[in-house]
Amino acid sequence: MMNAINDVGKLNREEAITALYLKAFPPVARYISRGGGSFDEAKDVFHDALVIYYEKSVEAKQAIDSNETAYLIGIAKHLWLKRFKENGQNSDLEGFDQPIEDVELPAGNRILHFLEKAGNKCMQLLKSFYYDQLPLTDIAETFGFSGIRSATVQKYKCLEKVRETIKQKALTYEDFME
Amino acid sequence: MKTSWSETEQVDRHISGLMDTGDALVFEAKLLLEPGLHDKIQWQKKAHLLIAQYGRKQLKNEIETVHQKLFSSPQHNTFSQKIRCFFTKP
Repeated sequence: MMNAINDVGKLNREEAITALYLKAFPPVARYISRGGGSFDEAKDVFHDALVIYYEKSVEAKQAIDSNETAYLIGIAKHLWLKRFKENGQNSDLEGFDQPIEDVELPAGNRILHFLEKAGNKCMQLLKSFYYDQLPLTDIAETFGFSGIRSATVQKYKCLEKVRETIKQKALTYEDFME
Repeated sequence: MKTSWSETEQVDRHISGLMDTGDALVFEAKLLLEPGLHDKIQWQKKAHLLIAQYGRKQLKNEIETVHQKLFSSPQHNTFSQKIRCFFTKP
């Protein structure tokens, strides 16, 4: 996976995030402070920008490393301007699309909480495969499978387990059906 | 008879649009014969949303850990002071 955070391996994810933070947060914070924002607002916007940056680079399956810091700063500025517009403080931001899809499900947090307790290993495996899109060989090694075949089988068994849990829990949490 | 995980795998390929034409036709026929399959597709889509929600939550936790370290460890004093300066009213 050619992704600045994934690329360096699991143990160094924290270092990769730290490096991005040190490089990109100062210009973002300065920009937001000049726009009248607070420290907490700058932090919120920057954290959301990092998530978008991560998801976009995973989706693109390649490094945005030619100018990754500039890209990240651009996302953060975009998010800040959007927030500004929503607060009615700016009126001319046509052309800024919504870069992040809302993935939250109604009652999702309650079901997640249950799954984190009842099957966290499955959730971690599924996250590595679908969210981080790590190579199967890396996933097999990290989770101690004998090879990519058994990692694949386990992945689908886990997906099935999550699917059936959601279905079962949906009977309890009716709003999940909506 | 196919194992259940291989059906889950088929549903996954159907959701992501990765089936080749032949497999897709067979799957469409299966959908006609097995009404319960529609249900599986819908719940599996929800499972994917939940996995994305979980992934995002974990990533946000990782980012928050980094933030706490940068703004509390003496090693990064220069950095944190520089940032705080931006927000200090003159």
